[in-house]
Amino acid sequence: MGKNEEAFEEIRNSIVNFDVETLKKAILDAVQSGVASQEIINVMAEGMNIVGKKFEAAEYFVPELIMAGETMKEGIEVLRPYMSGETGGELGTAVIATVAGDIHDIGKNIFVTLMTTAGFKVIDLGVDVSAEKIVKAVKENHAQILGLSALLTTNLEQFPTIVNLLKKEGMRDKIKVVVGGATVTEEFAKETGVDGYAKTALAGVEICKGWAKGR
Amino acid sequence: MTSTYDRMMAVYQGRDGEGVVFQPRIKHWFEVNSATGTLPERYQGMYLDEIYRDLDVTPREVWVPGVRGSAGYLALRIVEGDDVEVWVRQYRGSSSEGEPQDYIVTEYRTPKGTIGQLERLTEHGVSVYNVEYFLKDLKDIEVYKYILQERTYQWDQRRYEWGKERYGDTVPLRVNLQRSPLMWLFVGMMGFQRTVTMLWRHPKEMEELLMLHENEFYKMLDVCRGKPIVELHFGDNMHQDMCSPPFFKKYMIPFYKRVIPKVHEMGMYATAHWDGFVKQLLPLVKETGLDGLECVTPLPQGDVTLEEMKEGMKGMLLRDGIPAVMMCPWTNLKNLEDHVRKLLKMFYPRLILGISDLTPANADIERIKFVNGIVEEFNESL
Repeated sequence: MGKNEEAFEEIRNSIVNFDVETLKKAILDAVQSGVASQEIINVMAEGMNIVGKKFEAAEYFVPELIMAGETMKEGIEVLRPYMSGETGGELGTAVIATVAGDIHDIGKNIFVTLMTTAGFKVIDLGVDVSAEKIVKAVKENHAQILGLSALLTTNLEQFPTIVNLLKKEGMRDKIKVVVGGATVTEEFAKETGVDGYAKTALAGVEICKGWAKGR
Repeated sequence: MTSTYDRMMAVYQGRDGEGVVFQPRIKHWFEVNSATGTLPERYQGMYLDEIYRDLDVTPREVWVPGVRGSAGYLALRIVEGDDVEVWVRQYRGSSSEGEPQDYIVTEYRTPKGTIGQLERLTEHGVSVYNVEYFLKDLKDIEVYKYILQERTYQWDQRRYEWGKERYGDTVPLRVNLQRSPLMWLFVGMMGFQRTVTMLWRHPKEMEELLMLHENEFYKMLDVCRGKPIVELHFGDNMHQDMCSPPFFKKYMIPFYKRVIPKVHEMGMYATAHWDGFVKQLLPLVKETGLDGLECVTPLPQGDVTLEEMKEGMKGMLLRDGIPAVMMCPWTNLKNLEDHVRKLLKMFYPRLILGISDLTPANADIERIKFVNGIVEEFNESL
């Protein structure tokens, strides 16, 4: 194993084991050895992929995703002075939001973390987001994917409202829309005119990866 | 025919042959539609109790603060310490975009410092959610520890008498306790993501705080001792994406194991509110000592089948069981009928039927009558 590979292994393991201090040191060592910042980010993403696989295998759960995400964020902060330009997003850009009138964000946040890990550039608009703001963000970011979440039955009507607004703006054929949330059923999703329905965040990521490959 | 009270007691005690009670939560449906003027014509001007009577189902929201026609049966009262001042103000303020929103600021002012939370009222003002939580850092925790140390609980005899007169012959008395310590932090005091990161970065301080929270339960139980309470209920809002199986094993099971024997010693039953995804937690529930679960939500809304619920709960009592989305007019009525019949067949006699988690504001209220018809038919067949 070469010196760089040893450092990379340490970076990956630090993400998987939520070891912030070791990660910071390994990143600085790699930078001082002349490794490019983008390469270090890719290695951190590999660590997050391992975390994602452990999540998929029910070995890790949402708290572990949060800790791994926090660890990675701290790593990025250490690396920031050495970074140039924008990084990530090789699978495309996704805008993600919980719809207007709804403030539930756990499922949405997991989806954001997993999509980022998978290689999408993610624009997370947060919760209780109006249809107008969502469509504006899709337009401004040239997004290929729109992920919408709703938990309350009273807010499900936002899905067709957003789809209709996308149509009105002439953007519907440029974007794939996936929806999720506990009260969303496949039956209902079909009627709203979206492209995909996901029971879980992980299933949603697989749908989006399929779309990215098909482009 | 046995009374509703006896039927419910039979469920607690695990006795056979008394018939199923249908006790849906309709308060949220009632409050939103009252606020928006969209109550069906038949129910306009009625109190919640009168609607329950008209629907011919058992009233449910009798243990909550009395809002818009709900009597309330809340018999435990929090009393803060002498030098803890609670300051509350509601205001209407601008958000980053759109219409101004209604907010509630609450501050606890103590000799150790002040902690505060910001809540926003939901669209029709019938509920609130946290924009900012009380506990943001270790300094806040120190203030909060002082608040808890000074806090006591009182039995509200007047409130109890009022509820007893109104509901005492119909439904056994249940008292709602707080959420279990970890869920109390996740949902009420600190927020999910911050709690997770604080547990990770400051485990010692957080575990001390959890123990202090647990001590609150012993105070509450002392006040409940000797009172005519049948059920003590942990309002946990359990969801595996927050309380993962490792968290459940580390924090929840030991807590329940310490507290529930004390509930049983007092001759009461212990139940908890599990309204999220719980597939990974159900195999662990029997280790808790809980007598029953409320609001477990099957597919297509939750993540469990009725068979998985039955297997995990192994003879525990179930309150509710109909996914709320099945009460909405766009879902298939035959699916609702099939689900209710299967639920009755599988869970009777350990079942108090209801909606998991509550009747949505845009539900078709006639579906309550529809379900009640199935229940009556089932009870006649016994």
